[in-house]
Amino acid sequence: MRTVFLASLRTHIRRYVAAAVAVAVAVAFVLVVGVLTSGAHSGLMDGLGAPYRNADHVVSAAGWPSSELDPKAAIAFTERHGENAAATGRATLPARANGRRISETTVGPIATSEEWRWQELSSGRFPARTGEAVVDVYFALAENFAVGDRVRIGEGAAARDVQVVGLVESPSPPAQASMYVTWPQLLQWRDHLHLNAVAVRGEVGQLPEGTKAQSPEGFAAERLTYVQNRVNTLSVMLLLFVGIALFVSVLVISNTFSILFAQRLRDFALLRCIGATRRQVVRSVRREAAVVGVLASLAGTLVGVGLGYGLIALIDALTPTALMGAAELPTLWLLGGFAVGLVVTMVASWLPTRRVVRVSPLAALRADAAVDVHTATGLVRPALAAILLVTGLALLGVAMVQDSTALMVAGGGSVFAGVLLFGPVLVPRLIGITGALLGPAGRLATKNAVRDPRRTATTTASLLVGVTLTTAVLTGMATWRSSLDEQIGRDHPIDVALTSPKEPVTTDLLNRVRHTPGVEQAIPVDGAVARVAGLDKPIPVVTAPAAAHVARDGGAFARVEPGKIRIDSEAFGKNLSLRPGDRVTVRVGDRRAQLQVAVGTGWGPAGVVAPETLATLTDAPEPHAIWIRASSGADPARLGSDLDELADPVGATIENGLRTWESLDQQLGIYTWSALGLLGIAVVIALIGIANTLGLSVLERVREHAMLRALGLTRRQLRRMLATEAVLLSLVATLLGTMIGVGFAWVGYETIVKQALSDATMHVPWLSLGVVVLIASLAGLLAAVLPARRAARVTPAAGLSLD
Amino acid sequence: MTTTTQQATQETVAASARNLTKTYGQGDAQVHALRGIDLDLPRGRFTAIMGPSGSGKSTLMHCLAGLDGPSDGTVTVAGTALGSLEDDALTIFRREHIGFVFQSFNLLPMLTAGENIVLPLELGGRRIDDAARERARMLADILGVADRLGHRPAELSGGQQQRVAIARALITEPDLLFADEPTGNLDSTTSAEVLDHLRRSARELGQTVVMVTHERDAAAYTDYVVTMQDGRIV
Repeated sequence: MRTVFLASLRTHIRRYVAAAVAVAVAVAFVLVVGVLTSGAHSGLMDGLGAPYRNADHVVSAAGWPSSELDPKAAIAFTERHGENAAATGRATLPARANGRRISETTVGPIATSEEWRWQELSSGRFPARTGEAVVDVYFALAENFAVGDRVRIGEGAAARDVQVVGLVESPSPPAQASMYVTWPQLLQWRDHLHLNAVAVRGEVGQLPEGTKAQSPEGFAAERLTYVQNRVNTLSVMLLLFVGIALFVSVLVISNTFSILFAQRLRDFALLRCIGATRRQVVRSVRREAAVVGVLASLAGTLVGVGLGYGLIALIDALTPTALMGAAELPTLWLLGGFAVGLVVTMVASWLPTRRVVRVSPLAALRADAAVDVHTATGLVRPALAAILLVTGLALLGVAMVQDSTALMVAGGGSVFAGVLLFGPVLVPRLIGITGALLGPAGRLATKNAVRDPRRTATTTASLLVGVTLTTAVLTGMATWRSSLDEQIGRDHPIDVALTSPKEPVTTDLLNRVRHTPGVEQAIPVDGAVARVAGLDKPIPVVTAPAAAHVARDGGAFARVEPGKIRIDSEAFGKNLSLRPGDRVTVRVGDRRAQLQVAVGTGWGPAGVVAPETLATLTDAPEPHAIWIRASSGADPARLGSDLDELADPVGATIENGLRTWESLDQQLGIYTWSALGLLGIAVVIALIGIANTLGLSVLERVREHAMLRALGLTRRQLRRMLATEAVLLSLVATLLGTMIGVGFAWVGYETIVKQALSDATMHVPWLSLGVVVLIASLAGLLAAVLPARRAARVTPAAGLSLD
Repeated sequence: MTTTTQQATQETVAASARNLTKTYGQGDAQVHALRGIDLDLPRGRFTAIMGPSGSGKSTLMHCLAGLDGPSDGTVTVAGTALGSLEDDALTIFRREHIGFVFQSFNLLPMLTAGENIVLPLELGGRRIDDAARERARMLADILGVADRLGHRPAELSGGQQQRVAIARALITEPDLLFADEPTGNLDSTTSAEVLDHLRRSARELGQTVVMVTHERDAAAYTDYVVTMQDGRIV
């Protein structure tokens, strides 16, 4: 049997290539996740401890992360230790540089002594005195800073000018800031300063209340566990996608083995004829699967490790702030990935090998035994499928009523399993319907595609998994997105609001605002400066009947009933004492009105009232605000700073709601694209599967193709026939996947989104889904290229004389 | 050879081969399948190419039918030199002028008998109109498979499959019909039926039929017999 095993391995190993690639891709995926995870861990470890490496003790909040250091006490504590202590932390301050406003700058301390300094210089020099600063290289890159630039940090009386003397790398999450200045300088903004730890050399002495002292290692370990949990959560999420990819691989491999064994059924029967026992045949076949599994897993492991380290190098090169350390070779992951590949291959080959057992020796003697590998679909399968479908749908129904995520997942899984089991009945029919649309030209392809229902179903199932999930993700994200859009429309009705609390805005300013790039529309908002009881400064009281032209909520926020005043609850900071329902006195000059307070957000420090109310307060309203609608695609930061340039000289302030949109866009974008990218791996494996099935079928049909060629099928027609077959398979899988995916997304919307955002509406991104269908069809075409070329190469005469 | 005889030859010859040579492999492994064959196949007749296995008879048929290119020499079918045709042109030529019946694997398993019969028309992109359907029915009638048109090949007996294959070969009214061991898988009674059908195609429909066979009994049905050995006509 050994000779037979080796010989058949030699003969057939090339036919296993595609299946092996599928396994290898999945294993490589596991390894990449492993290497990245361990890289992130070691990077965190390196960076985190850096600021505290020369300390004997690290003092931090006792109840961290639920409580923080009291800044005043921590500053006093640090001062008391003088040279023997260094604090880490940061102050968030506004800054201006190169005539531009930079939002959200964090400023941290940098020690003048080398032993406390943990930042690494990348150009220039370290600051030596007050008035000098270094900038984090990544921040410098983003905000266009260079050595020699002057930066004004802080506002009003707390504003200070500093000169950038160097750029640094600062890879330590708890201590990281965008700029660093000397400790004395930083104390000039002590009101804004938050400290997270103080490194102490020698005796700690009396600790401030609510703090604890730890060894540097202990402190780093504590912070690491926290961040690591997040890294680990991420790894688990990634492994979920790995699981999907593995599942798809199982389908592909199992299909490959089924096809190959079907083709070789005569060989097996012959072996039985000449005296091989069932066990011998099966053992030989399983050993073949094991060899494929070992080789593929080995290849996958190597590729995965290589890719993982390559990615770490790439991430390091692209984003200097990322914390990717030189990962140790993660032994556990290596073994795990290899084992997973081997196990997956063996499991996937189990069922097909069982069919080998059943072959009777007589099959070898029958004339045309191996040609028609049509498998019958029994009754058990559809019955089981029906049970799963019904149960799943019921579970989904209950999930929607009870808003239960667990039931939803269970129901979804059950429905999907039902669809997969139902595949051999369902998919050929769908292919028949789709193929009928192609007319007679596609008829041969259609018939070929549905020749073996089970094979067809398994082939499409692999793609179905990927497409269903992709569609669900796309639709879910679109729904979530449109609901959030509505909510943000309410929270930030105005993209950018320019409010002038003293002087009315001039026509000239309005014109300049209108000509600023990125401004689609700008309306002047009339009002008068008023004193509102409970607010320490006068604010414009305005009315905006035209708000609908610029507002994202259709102007609803600006429609205020007479007798009420609507205040932006976020524009006055935490100290706003007014509450909705309060009655306040509003005075303009010597006129006054008693108004009831209502609140909203997103238009800056101005009170919105009804036109009638304003008329009682003033006879000559003047524009005190400009409300701006940005054109789509405008850069929020740039538009904000451009408008700020106009507003600042006349004492007006800017409320930039557009930034919220931007960050939301980015976040959802990152989620969507990561999910799509990760699902992409499963889709790629599925397409390898389609190419594989087609390639193996082509081998099976050499004679048939030769006969067709003899009868007058041109090479091009033959290639087109095979391409049509592949496209049909992928198209049907995609269309079915899209339908199920949209269905799942709808259930998800009813169960989760509606619960979170009460008046959300379902949004199906038809365009994106259309693109998915198109891409899948094109990919199907791509999958047919190699098999079709191979099939077309065989000359009719060679194909006919082949046995 | 004078012009007149040449013209007369062209009228009565359906296909001809001149100095037809085919070699496979190189050096020591070189095999001479055909060693300079000169052959004229008379129009409207049933010709057998006979010989033991390995004599080159299948190679000869493949070259005559344009399924394989010769190493040297020319093949002319219906006035067209096949050597001058590119693969696509050759394929279309086959589609329009040549019909085939093979020993086995003759029919596409996923198509019904009826669909198999009109397949050559469909490959040519022709619409299956009433005339075509009528012709298919007529052929099926003559060949005795009219009641099996809706069945898949797997549901037909070997003889029925072969008769469907003959109907398919005749549907395009080819200049030349090649049959490669058409009775190889059949019992003697069924063989006789199939051979009778081929002979009637020649006699009654005026069809030129060329059959490759190694069975003496089968050759008895034909008008002419060409015997081959070691790549030569003997």
